[in-house]
Order: sequence, then structure tokens, then C-alpha cells
Amino acid sequence: MKTKWKKTSAAFIMGTVLMMAGCQGDDSANTKEESTGPVTFSMFNADPHSQWDNMESPVSQIVKEKTEVTLEPEFDVAGGEQKIPLMIASGEYPDLIAPKGNAGKLVDAGALIDLTDLIEEHAPNLQKIYGDYFSRLKWSGEDESIYILPTAAVDHTYWAPGTGFMLQHDVVKQLGYPEIRTVKDFENAIREYKEKNPTIDGQPTIGLSLLADDWRIMISTTNPAFYATGAPDDGEFYIDPDTHEATMHYRRPAEKEYFKWLNHMNAEGLLDKESFVQKYDQYLAKISSGRTIGLIDTDWEVADAQRALRESGKAERMHGMYPVTLTEEYKHANFQDTGYLGGWGIGITVDCEDPIRAIKFLDYLASEEGQILQNWGIEGEHYTIEDGKRVISDEEMNERNNNANYVKETGIGVLKGFAPIYGDGVTDSTGQTYSIASPDQIKNAYTDVEKEVLANYDVEMWKDLYPQKEEFPVKPWGAAYNMPVEAGSDLELIMQKSMDIVKKRIPEAILADPAEFDAVWDEFMADLEKAGVEQAEADYTEMVKNRVELWK
Amino acid sequence: METVEKKAYSKAGRSAKRRRPFWQTMKQQKYLYAMSVPFVLWVLVFNYLPLWGWTMAFQDFKPARSFWEQEWVGLEHFITLFQDERFYLVLRNTLAMSIMGLLIGFVVPIIFAIFLNEVRVQSFKRTVQTVSYLPHFVSWVVVAGIVTKMLSVDGGVVNELLMTTGLISEPVQFMTKGEWFWVIVTLSDLWKEMGWNSIIFLAAMAGIDPQLYEAAKVDGASRLRQIWHITLPGIRPTILVVLILSIGHLITIGFEKQFLLGNPTVVDYAEVLDLYALNYGIGLGRFSYGTAIGIFNSLVSIILLFLANGIFKRFANQSVM
Repeated sequence: MKTKWKKTSAAFIMGTVLMMAGCQGDDSANTKEESTGPVTFSMFNADPHSQWDNMESPVSQIVKEKTEVTLEPEFDVAGGEQKIPLMIASGEYPDLIAPKGNAGKLVDAGALIDLTDLIEEHAPNLQKIYGDYFSRLKWSGEDESIYILPTAAVDHTYWAPGTGFMLQHDVVKQLGYPEIRTVKDFENAIREYKEKNPTIDGQPTIGLSLLADDWRIMISTTNPAFYATGAPDDGEFYIDPDTHEATMHYRRPAEKEYFKWLNHMNAEGLLDKESFVQKYDQYLAKISSGRTIGLIDTDWEVADAQRALRESGKAERMHGMYPVTLTEEYKHANFQDTGYLGGWGIGITVDCEDPIRAIKFLDYLASEEGQILQNWGIEGEHYTIEDGKRVISDEEMNERNNNANYVKETGIGVLKGFAPIYGDGVTDSTGQTYSIASPDQIKNAYTDVEKEVLANYDVEMWKDLYPQKEEFPVKPWGAAYNMPVEAGSDLELIMQKSMDIVKKRIPEAILADPAEFDAVWDEFMADLEKAGVEQAEADYTEMVKNRVELWK
Repeated sequence: METVEKKAYSKAGRSAKRRRPFWQTMKQQKYLYAMSVPFVLWVLVFNYLPLWGWTMAFQDFKPARSFWEQEWVGLEHFITLFQDERFYLVLRNTLAMSIMGLLIGFVVPIIFAIFLNEVRVQSFKRTVQTVSYLPHFVSWVVVAGIVTKMLSVDGGVVNELLMTTGLISEPVQFMTKGEWFWVIVTLSDLWKEMGWNSIIFLAAMAGIDPQLYEAAKVDGASRLRQIWHITLPGIRPTILVVLILSIGHLITIGFEKQFLLGNPTVVDYAEVLDLYALNYGIGLGRFSYGTAIGIFNSLVSIILLFLANGIFKRFANQSVM
């Protein structure tokens, strides 16, 4: 009997071994950190980071020495839209998380901890940096906890426009610097140049290229409709400045005219036929080749392509940014002030075993020392102090402007998006600016071609072409696009549905035969109404009004 | 398993013919049973235990709440699902693409395998086989890039070719034609998987008794006759098993191809069920809704599998179960 038992168990073990052989599990033990000594924090960032240095660059080494914190981040290319819900479903979170627009889902799932007390006890620099805007960090009227530390720059002075209609410098130069003020001017410039130069470097010239790859359709195709009709970008809704009523922005009659113009551009053969087919990398490659003469986009979306053009010595193929609107009655609202924007930023999750160390780490990054490291670099290496002022040598500046991997190699600015920062123009205890940006520094970074173009338009900077901040009132609701939408709410569902309709109907309308444009547009409007857009507008109006109240 | 059982019987020195009660057989084969326990547990834990999650479809599931705190809503999520027009649209796309994929992606590899089997020069046969299944290992991201580039209006190979031959006067925007999207997906899938899918048929052909061919030759059968009367009947069981299994998978075709090849202008033809579940289920934090779609998927798959199996059992006397 005994041997039989042995045989049975032996057979059982054998079976187990057989099974194990097929799949070896990794049981790397979870090392628990103490609150002194080196700590590693895992992190999820909803944005990609092309310059991540693995914390091995000189600047990151110093951060590591001072804080004894190493970050192990994961960068997402899809804005966290899929990964964050999956985290919630599994209930396992990284220590730190920068969820972009998905913070609401995390808060609803109870994944983020309230930072109010932590900041009060351990983070003097964070308190200092947010200053008077501290009340804008509160989550909502019902829940006044602080879950997210917004990472947008505080008290930022904008010296360069962020969005606009872009033309290659060679276009305006060849045409004798015509006024680029309305879409008609923009269109004529493209047409004339294209007729004169049917090919660039042997390849066919592309008039205007748009991008519609997934969410990027909003950046290059639909958001510019706000600006072209004199409104600031508030996400998918236009907020009436007087009544604070929200309207899904495509439903404004003025915007129909804008899309009609794009339709006209397509009919004229000036719009890139691949606009709605191309993926982001193809779009960048096309711009970098130097044959796309016109763009309607933001500076950050095409920054890589502009840098590539600069590096390959095609300065005349880089693009200048112009405040184009539908007609002259509108003013391009790029510089309209939002006040300080709460919303998108970084939070600490319930799975973080050492939240004190985490908040101290963020506090260090927000401190004067941390900010100077992230902006200027290491003294003696990246800048020197002359007469008590920080100075960057010409050689270093040249490296900064022209080396595409400068951030990665030096570590300057690698951690910038992870903690709140001071905006351009804000000064430190010695009276110098935290960031290296100054009007002079921006002007010095211009290429000779850019300087020539600007001189011919009688201005010193691109910013000067735009209507200035002072011409607009400050928006009391900040920017509507960063208001958290409740997860699983009707509003969220309707917004998803209308986004799907937009993604389909807008390209359809632009590519339609001009005679059919009105019919397609009417269908588009009917689809939106059917998806419940009116209810969404009502819900959104209420949210805007609540926020204005909360921030007062 | 059958041969193992037979060996166990003969080892015990008893007649295998007599039917014995189950427990007696079990006692007889206790070592075999013991060996299979881990595998049975494995299946239970990883394939059946997760079914518990199906309860989510009948709740208004909120994360970070215990099972007992969830609100039960019955069939509400299924009702929403079946009332959504978009659901029928994506269901149509899913079925259209999978049926096209099944027809083309099933017939062509068989023909390809037959052709290869007829090739006499071994080195040529091997080279073609290897070259043709290599695309299987290329990721869809890369394939989508190649396809988009080839069909581009801006110097794409296909358009250039059609232009030089004079078949068209202006480049065709292949990627913006909704009705062509299914064809593009099916053909790129065919290019990628044809060689790989033909391996199993080639293996089956290798198992056909050469004497049958010799006998046929003696009787004066031509090459085509030999293919029709020997090769095809020889791989018939394989064909049927593969067919039944693929029918079971009709509705679960994944979304990689459609996601990577699609663009806003063809979305009405490109969105498939899995992508819909992702965008409108998990993507919006509607876990319950996502689960309801999952249950629908599984049920349809099971029904299709049994249906196909039953039909073939009846008419072809062949089944997988």
C-alpha cells in the first residue's frame, strides 16, 4: 500500500513538472523599500517621451544623488486610453501616474491618494510654486481633495505662438511677403507657389497636408476651426464667454464655413490627397522631406519634423506660423489667457508604498535647485556664472538648438513634465528667470531665413504677428478640455459617440464634391443630434458653471 | 490517449473487450489519472475560474467595490448592446471580413499546397515553402506600413504600375474606398498567412501512401486525375478539421489588421467587434458592457462550432468532438 501511495504521488509530481516545464513563471520577489536609502518608483506616463535617458544622464544622476529616487517609467503612445482602464480592471497601479485626460477614471476607482496633507507637511516648494492657484488644484465642488499635481507651467509668459497656419519660409519669400491674414491669403499663397514650383527636390509639391491619425484629427483638423473663427480651443465644446453655455463646436455656423473652405481646398487640388489616410510618422516624414509647403497644426506636433529640416540644412523649408482666420472679422485667439490650468498632471496611487518619499521627490523637482537643473543644467558644465548671472556659452547654445538628442544626452529637461514648473519669465531668488527662455534667447535661436522673413514682415518675433494677450479677457473657466468627465457617465458615452461621428464625417465632408458638401454636413449634424449632443451640451454647461464657481 | 489506454490494459493482462464499471477502470489507471490531475486543475483555474467574471455583465460594475456591493441590473447591458446601431455595423464588418478571410484564406493555401506537392525538384519546393511562410513572422505593424505605402497615391507601386500600363489615368485612392477595405484586408492577410497555412496540408499530403499514386499511374490516370482522386481525398480529414475549427473562430478575428490598416474615411467598414468592445467597453470604463460583448462573442463562437461540427458529422461523417 505504501509503495502504491508513493507511485501515485510520484506520478502526480511528474505531471506537475511536465506542466511547469512548459511555462516558467517569474517570481522575482517584490522588494519592499524603506523610507531611507535608495527608492525606485514605477511610473506610468500617458505621453510618449522620445528623450528618456533611463536616469543615466549627468543631470538625472544629480537628481538621483539628491533624492535617492530612481524612476522606472512606462511611456504610452496611445494617451493611456487603453492602458489606464486595464490598470483599473486589474487593480494594480504604478507608484506614480501621469494620466492626462484619464484622471477621472482613476479617481472614481479610488486609485489616487489625496495629496493635501502630504503637500502641507512635506512639500514647501510645491506650496510655493502653486501659490495663489492652490484652490484650482481641488478636484470638484463635492470632493475638494487634491489628486493631481498639474504639471503645466505656472505664470507662463508665451513668447511663441503654439498653433496657427504654417507656410514654408520659401513660399512667402518667393511671393514677395504677401499679407497672410485670412484663409484666402493662405490659399492664394499655396496656389501661386505650387504653380511656380510643381516639384521640390524632384518630388511633387504638396500644398496643404492635414493629419487625422486617431486623436490627432483634433489637433490638426478640427481644433483649428476654433481659432479660424476667433474662438480659443476648449476641447470639443465652444464656451460662450458671457453665458458660459457650451456648444459642441462643429455646430457653430461659422465653423461650417471653415470646413467648407477645406472642402474647397480639396476641390482645387491644393489639399494633400493622403491627409486622412496617413499615419503620424508618414506625416512627419513628408514634412521632413521638405515638400509640404502648407500646414495647419500646433508647434509641438510638427516640432520633430522642423528639427529634422533644420538639421539637414533646409532652413528655407521650415515653416513660419501665421494667425490666419476665416475672414478679417475674427481675431486669432492663440494668446488668450486661461489663468493657471489645473487638470492634467501627476498623481500618487494607492499602490505606492512610500508616498512621503514620492511627494518629496516631486517637491525637489519643483524647488529652485531642481528647476535650475532642469532648465539650465549643471553649473560649470552646461552654463557658467558671470557677474552673478547664469550664462550659456554660444557653443553650448548651438548644441542645444541643433542637437536632436541634447535632452537625452545631458538630462536637461528630461524630468520637466513630471512635476510642476515655473513658466517662462518667472524669476528666482536672484532675480533671474527659471527657464532659459527669454525673448532674446528665442530670437537668437531663429535661423537666418527666419530672421529675414520676420524682418520683411516688420516684426521681431512670430508672436508679434498675433493679436496679443491683452486684447482678450481672461477665461474664468480656464480651458474646458481639462475638466474631468465622470467615468461611465452619459456625457462620456455621448462624447465618445460624437467623436466617432466626427472622425468619420469631417473627412467625408472635406473630401466630398463641393456640390454635396451641404448635404453631408446636414447628415453630420443629424448624426450628432441623434447621438444626444444636446444633452451633452447641457451637462457640459453645468460643469463649466460649477468650475467657474469653484475657482472664484 | 486510446493507445495509452490499450497498453495499460494489456499490461494488466486482462481483456480489453469486456466493459467494466467506470470506477474500476479508474482504479486500474490511477497513475494515468494522477498524471492528468495537474492539467485538469490548470484548465479549471485558468479557463473556467475566470468565467466567474461573467457575473460582471449582469451588474453595474464599479471597480474598487467588493462583489457584494455591486449593483445587479440583470440583462440591461445586453439590451443596450442589441439596441445600438453601431453594434450591428461592427458585427457586419466582423462577419464579412472573417467569412471572406475564411473562403480565400482557406482555399488558396490548399491549392498552393497541391501545387507545391506536385513539384518534383526538392530544392525548389523547399525554397518556395520557406519563402512563402516567412511573412507569417512579420508583425502586422510592418505589413500595414508596406500595404499603405504600396497603395499610396503618392508614388505607390500599384498606382504607378496601373498608370504605366494605361489602365487608369489618375491614381486611385485605394485606402479611402470603404468598399475596398475588406478586399485589402483579405488580400494582405492572404499574402501574410498563405504559406504558413499550407504547411499543415503539405504535411497531410506527405502521409498519403505512394502506392496509391503508382496504382493510379498504372491505370492511366493523369496528374489532374491523381490530384482529384488521391491527393484531395487523402487530405480530406485535415481539411474538415481545420474548417470546423476556423468556423468556431469566425467572430473572434482580433482587430490588429483593421486597426492598423484603417483610417477615418473607411471607419464604417473597418471597425470590428473587438475594437468596439475596447472603445465602448473598457475604454470608457464600462466594464460590464465590455463583458456583455465578450459573453456574446463566446456564445456565438460555441454555437458556430457545434453547428459546423454537427453538419459535418451528419453529411461527411467527420467531426472534431
